[in-house]
Amino acid sequence: MTKLLSPARSKVLFLGNEAIARGALEAGVAVATGYPGTPSSEVIESLAHVASERNLYVEWSVNEKVALEVAAAASFTGLRSMAVMKQNGVNVASDFLLHLTASGTRGGLVLVSCEDPGALSSVNEGESRYFARMLEMPLLEPSDFQEAKDLTKWAFELSEQIGNVVMLRSVTRMSHASGNVICGKLPVKSRKAHFEYDGSVMDSSRGPMISTPVVAKHLLHQQKLKAVEALFEKSPFNRYFGAAKPELLMITSSACFLYAEEAIEMLGLQKRVGILKLGTTWPLPPKLLEKHLRKTKKILIVEEVMPFLEENVKILAAGLANRIAINTFHGKYDETLPSAGELNPDIVAAALCHILKVKRKTLPANYLSDSQKAAALIPAREQTFCAGCPHRASFWNIHNAIALDGRKGFVCGDIGCYSMAALSPATGYHTMPTLHSMGSGTGLASGFAKLAQFGLDQPILTVCGDSTFYHAVIPALINAQHNRADITFIVLDNAGTAMTGFQPHPGLAISAMKEAVPAVDIAAICSAIGAKVALSDPFDLETTRKILTSFLADKGLLKVLILRQACALSPEKKGKKIFDVKVNELLCLGDACGCNRLCTRVFRCPALTWDRTTKKAVVDEVICAGCGVCASICPQKAIVKTEASL
Amino acid sequence: MGISNFGYPMNKKPGSQTKLKKDVLEQSLCTGCGACVGLCPYQVVYHDRTVQLHDCDLTDGKCYAFCPRTPANYGQIRESLFDISDVTPEIGAVKGYYLSRAADPALRAKSQHGGTVTALLGVAMDEGLINSAIVSSRNEELKEEGRLIEEKSQLSDYAKSKFTVSPTVAAFNQLMGDVVRKVGVVATPCQALALAKMKTVRIKDGDKINPLNLVIGLFCGWTLSVESFHRLLQLYQISPAALTGMDIPPGKNILELYTNESVTSVPMAEVDACVRTACRYCIDSTAEFADLSVGAARFGGDCDEMRGWNQIIVRSYRGKQLLELAVAQGALEIREAPASALQDLKNAAAGKKRKALKNIVEKSRSVKNLLYLSGDDPVVKKYLSMEKKKR
Ligand SMILES: Cc1cc2nc3c(=O)[nH]c(=O)nc-3n(C[C@H](O)[C@H](O)[C@H](O)COP(=O)(O)OP(=O)(O)OC[C@H]3O[C@@H](n4cnc5c(N)ncnc54)[C@H](O)[C@@H]3O)c2cc1C
Ligand code: SF4
Ligand code: SF4
Ligand code: SF4
Ligand code: SF4
Repeated sequence: MTKLLSPARSKVLFLGNEAIARGALEAGVAVATGYPGTPSSEVIESLAHVASERNLYVEWSVNEKVALEVAAAASFTGLRSMAVMKQNGVNVASDFLLHLTASGTRGGLVLVSCEDPGALSSVNEGESRYFARMLEMPLLEPSDFQEAKDLTKWAFELSEQIGNVVMLRSVTRMSHASGNVICGKLPVKSRKAHFEYDGSVMDSSRGPMISTPVVAKHLLHQQKLKAVEALFEKSPFNRYFGAAKPELLMITSSACFLYAEEAIEMLGLQKRVGILKLGTTWPLPPKLLEKHLRKTKKILIVEEVMPFLEENVKILAAGLANRIAINTFHGKYDETLPSAGELNPDIVAAALCHILKVKRKTLPANYLSDSQKAAALIPAREQTFCAGCPHRASFWNIHNAIALDGRKGFVCGDIGCYSMAALSPATGYHTMPTLHSMGSGTGLASGFAKLAQFGLDQPILTVCGDSTFYHAVIPALINAQHNRADITFIVLDNAGTAMTGFQPHPGLAISAMKEAVPAVDIAAICSAIGAKVALSDPFDLETTRKILTSFLADKGLLKVLILRQACALSPEKKGKKIFDVKVNELLCLGDACGCNRLCTRVFRCPALTWDRTTKKAVVDEVICAGCGVCASICPQKAIVKTEASL
Repeated sequence: MGISNFGYPMNKKPGSQTKLKKDVLEQSLCTGCGACVGLCPYQVVYHDRTVQLHDCDLTDGKCYAFCPRTPANYGQIRESLFDISDVTPEIGAVKGYYLSRAADPALRAKSQHGGTVTALLGVAMDEGLINSAIVSSRNEELKEEGRLIEEKSQLSDYAKSKFTVSPTVAAFNQLMGDVVRKVGVVATPCQALALAKMKTVRIKDGDKINPLNLVIGLFCGWTLSVESFHRLLQLYQISPAALTGMDIPPGKNILELYTNESVTSVPMAEVDACVRTACRYCIDSTAEFADLSVGAARFGGDCDEMRGWNQIIVRSYRGKQLLELAVAQGALEIREAPASALQDLKNAAAGKKRKALKNIVEKSRSVKNLLYLSGDDPVVKKYLSMEKKKR
């Protein structure tokens, strides 16, 4: 039996995301959907794992909006369901979400957003908390692993109680850390799905699920949210820790609670500083806040990225102005805390020192110089594609084709492992100068391509991964075709959603629950819309380069090149080398004129290293994935590949 | 990311490749000869453009040293390859000057003019002077490139002139260091100069055996830009694949384009517009750095008769030896040229030199800056002062 299905009352070490999954199971979730994105993916993965045992339907949807739609359908039939995504996924889902909060829901529906302050695995520091306020839906934020489970379970109940969607927000340090959780009961009965629609339009439990009449329904929605406020006043997930009359009150939520606790401990300020930890952060319970705001004059609001909590507390405080003396608020607005990036206990401690004018116990005198010395020992490592990564070969080809073409073409980037080409430009051979959201590479390319009449004469290329293709590229591609945009569109098809851990996508014949499903063929879609389509193996440098240069020269139409080669780390490749690769030292020119270290200086597969004493290139056998691409770039044929013996 | 060059010290001196880019490529001086191509992974030819694929930071590199459009002591190169007493200011070293043609009429029929070049390569192979030849061939994209030939019988398949550039020296670069080969190369003047630099310029890494044994130069007024030329063909509705040859018949001021079905005449003014910019700065019309140089015959006879003949300049001992062998073997017919022909040739060659120097000065806006040339070179000095006087 998997850990996720541990019996009630057992104490289990869960990843934050597993705790969320367990909470959903305890709530009797029937349908769970999502789109892969760090740090959210493990919620769906762990549910998929127990899908057949628990009779769940679990799906990796094509994108977050569709994920929420699929989950909402289940809710409309009375089932409990959830949709899971990373922060910017909520943006993708938001148009549907706006209408969903207006129509209301039936079976408990929870939207889980796992966010990434500090953008550890993102290209944005998006905040979905503001959606809770903007779209008027309750927001819950666990601050430890037990709460992650318990709040998730409660979120379903709350959603059913108010007939609307509830949002649960986690962050990387919660989703990806582990802690003990005491399990509750898993339900034995399951619900039957049925969609009732004959009732009155104003009855969201029996009538049609639509957002009209808009104003009347909006008022109803807001009344329900008022009821939520009352529930939140009594919520056990909001707790105060500290003296009755502290000098400073910290108001916080989520993982920041742990930072706040640790900072107090570090500085020994238990008597002087109290913490109000909120598990229900929107709408704020006004009475609870009033009670705590009365405790002291000095308030510090501790949260990551945007001053969401700070703003909401200040708005409440303004309303209470005649009853509580106005407090001094510290937080992001007065720059006590940084307005971007992750927090940690040190940052919170520094804020406390600043406000309370205390000194931190000083570090040993040589701490700084010692740590600098130690840091110098860490070898400088650039972010790069893995050894044997098909993207390296793809960008090598793209670079060469652009250079040969000679008109300073460029690649509009997109989201996936290949974003590295923009984040670490040398890795993409300086070809990819734009990077935004999923699918926007193709949209931008479609726009750049229409600027010829204003003098833009550079060839426009764009790339996207296979998973990204289905997620958001198709509309942009159709736009390009329909508007005669001359772009070279390259699909970096590595057979899976590699960056987030090989979740299947519509191009593969397997579902999240490991069932056989029809694969949707990218080439067929592109041909069907009328694009010129070619397919190549990026490891075949000669063929790929030729297709690309001919595409760049073929003006006035949409061209699609599908570069197909599985990821070096993909399950079917892992550990298996196609070639044994070695450098013949006698032939290697090294840094002499005639080569100047093409392989280690320019191509830069991490398995190729430069031996400073012999002044020759060396293949690190342990790292080498055996793709053999470097053998085709060496001008001396000094890199020798031989069929690997298995 | 922030780390360029990975902890290796950056060279302070500008790299050879950067200098090549600034001094030659960006100045539109690149002739497309191919001398910098195939030496290393960094320079390649694409269509008729020389492209730098990736950056290289080495100094004292071969690319800059071999390029015929980088500064060098050209006087010294001349001295080290030729009898200085043979050198004329207009057309370089002259040991002998004749009209010539291949003895074999079948070969003549397949070649541009008299088939002298192809016949000489054949004799050089027969006599063991060379065992490999580099000639010009069309690739699958209908672009010219150097082709290595090891069988005499195949030579005639690659006869005839292609007036677009053929980066022949790039093919030769592939053979550098080959100890078995003895190579003969057919070269335009810029290519002959590049090959001469490869033989004579000392560079740090130049210790590879140079298998070059013979350079047969072609007279050359200019080469055409591939892109413009293909546009011209399109205008005259000739598919590049159907083109079988081209020539400039004497005195008509036209370019003739041949296909199996037709002959098309293009007025010279239209052709001029297609000439590579780099050729406007070239002072050599007779491949002065070759062992022998071959061009179209220009003598008083009628046009059709002239078409079957070449004029040939013998420049070096090797060239003299080859010509003598060819005549002795009966592979080549030669006859004395009328006295006026040499003078006509010299006048035409001097004209190109003056015009090129004028263009160079116009480009650099100073008589002190002659780009790849130097005012200290006596040949340059002579035509520069003539140009100054004319002004
Ligand atoms: C670009 C160009 C411009 C020329 N301009 C003049 C001129 O202004 N006046 C003049 O008298 N003669 C000129 N010639 C030379 C002339 O066209 C003949 O090549 C020459 O007379 C030799 O004739 P042939 O019958 O002996 O040659 P062939 O026996 O037909 O042999 C010609 C040889 O030249 C090689 N070749 C063809 N094209 C090129 C090229 N682009 N680059 C390098 N090698 C090539 C062929 O592969 C073959 O080996 C020019 C030639 C070229 C290629
Ligand atoms: S590319 Fe080849 S010759 Fe150059 S350093 Fe690497 S192994 Fe040596
Ligand atoms: S074969 Fe070459 S390019 Fe491929 S992983 Fe090994 S060292 Fe890297
Ligand atoms: S010829 Fe030498 S210096 Fe020039 S680009 Fe190549 S390796 Fe660098
Ligand atoms: S003239 Fe020749 S050597 Fe110089 S840059 Fe051009 S192709 Fe290279």
